[in-house]
Amino acid sequence: MAKNTLRKTFLEPLGKNNPVFVQILGICSTLAVTNKLQNTLVMTLGVMFTTALSSFTLSLLRNHIPSRIRMMVETMIIATFVIIVDIVLKAFYPEMWKQLGPYVGLIITNCIIMGRVEAFALQNKPMLSLVDGLASGLGYTYVLLAIAFVRELLGTGSLWGFRILGSWWTNWSIMIMPPGGFFVLAILIWVIRETIMKEAKA
Amino acid sequence: MNAQPTFYRERIYPLLFMFIVTFLCILLTAGIYLLTQDRASANELSFTRRAILQAGGVSFENTTAGIELAFNEKIVVEDGYYTTQGPEGTRYIIPLQGPGLWGTIAIMVGLEEDMKTFSGLAIVSQNETPGLGARIEESWFTGQFQGKTAPFVMVEEGTASAQNEVDAITGATRTSEYFLNLTNRAADDAQSIIRGE
Amino acid sequence: MNESMMPFAIFFASIFTGNILLTNYLGMCSFLSVSKELKTSLGLGAAVIFVMATTTPLNWLVYEYLLIPFGLEYLRFIVFIIVIAAFVQLTEMTIERYSEPLYQSLGIFLPLITVNCAILGVSLFMVIREYTFLTSFLFGLGSGIGWFIAIIAMAGIRQKMKNANVPPALEGPAITLVIAGFMAMAFMGFSGMIALS
Repeated sequence: MAKNTLRKTFLEPLGKNNPVFVQILGICSTLAVTNKLQNTLVMTLGVMFTTALSSFTLSLLRNHIPSRIRMMVETMIIATFVIIVDIVLKAFYPEMWKQLGPYVGLIITNCIIMGRVEAFALQNKPMLSLVDGLASGLGYTYVLLAIAFVRELLGTGSLWGFRILGSWWTNWSIMIMPPGGFFVLAILIWVIRETIMKEAKA
Repeated sequence: MNAQPTFYRERIYPLLFMFIVTFLCILLTAGIYLLTQDRASANELSFTRRAILQAGGVSFENTTAGIELAFNEKIVVEDGYYTTQGPEGTRYIIPLQGPGLWGTIAIMVGLEEDMKTFSGLAIVSQNETPGLGARIEESWFTGQFQGKTAPFVMVEEGTASAQNEVDAITGATRTSEYFLNLTNRAADDAQSIIRGE
Repeated sequence: MNESMMPFAIFFASIFTGNILLTNYLGMCSFLSVSKELKTSLGLGAAVIFVMATTTPLNWLVYEYLLIPFGLEYLRFIVFIIVIAAFVQLTEMTIERYSEPLYQSLGIFLPLITVNCAILGVSLFMVIREYTFLTSFLFGLGSGIGWFIAIIAMAGIRQKMKNANVPPALEGPAITLVIAGFMAMAFMGFSGMIALS
């Protein structure tokens, strides 16, 4: 019985309740870095780490937090984990840290983390919340990697820095610029909704 | 008599809770920061040194140890600039700074003995738009200055041919312009720095 | 280059060419959901301008006079959030107390703003780009205005779109993102506007 809930908690954010294309959360900070696959992976792993641990910690505290200051406590805990990600990156992956710049700090305001905490962690047990946080992070990760895949490939002809398309390819520069991010995300949501909606109707 | 616990609950407890949570968070953060501080500063030093090596056209192994080795062997630290021996004589490596679109762009420029030909260029720090202006850090952009002489003329990305033409970055016109100003100043600024002005 | 022009150049750039939403992707969540209604957009946009223009210089002061002297820059994330949250809370309480109509049109949006990525983002950018006090105020003000323009334009377009034939799967967030993409492209066209030489 417990195993069932665990499984359900894990699978839902990956598909049915995906934070990006179903709940439309967390678009802000990460869209900026999806023009490179490598940066996206680091950012999304950071989000996953933060969501999982924040959900876990806040779930542990859930019966003690005074309702008045609920949001501030949440933000404080989330900010702490993000800072840890920032410090660790700066010390162990300085190249990446330089490239991601301010966007690591902006994970704090990523709506997904706050969203999952409010919707799940505050009403559920710690272990379950940890799984939910991890799964939401994963659901977020693969969607953004898909966006980055398209943007980097079409925008620079390479993937992960390695040249894939030959010199015959004229770079679609629009892809690495902000409008490209908006368009690719929009098309992704459209495609997913078409397929899911078709399933729902059938 | 019932008012007392309510006052505590409503006003004191939340404040206390917040205070404790904040304190613990700051403690955790400060702890991890202090643990990694040395590493972080070593990394920064390594970055600057690497920029100097790149500007001087010195080959090195891209690891912290490799950079330190190459730096200690090949670079001479002077007053406000650096020198190294290139195949055509002494190369001068100067730190330069200039305004970018959003903040300051700091670079290391390497000049050959004639003080005109670039031996290399590397970005130390910049705050331009990620994915656009920030692309000045990419190796194709910095590498194209090698062997060329100022004053430069910026042309459309991918079309540079003449000795004084360099590619701009598509979509980062402003940043490219600012960068151009910086590099065109390099030779004069270098003279002043070396003369000790 | 005229150094004294810099703050105003940044002011214009933050509204148009470096728009906090259309170029830097910040503040999207509330943008996507609130832009359905023009009236609500006006209220939220005004609140954003107010909070950004005030918290950015405020955070500058905190950073400059509290964090730097004690070597605590790495705590800026936590501290900025506390400053923003406290300021917003205070403002909300003051408005609620002194002006009911203002509270109805602006005050109710204030709690929403505390978790708006754009507010924190602007403060973080200010630190990275090492702005002065005046510039940070202009940057905050400009970013707020830029966000305001974006959400108003989006709300206006979505009003018109009510009569259009949107494919069902595109309805809502997807079509809003497409429009945002076009707006972003349009705003990129502003980059030739200010000639700085």
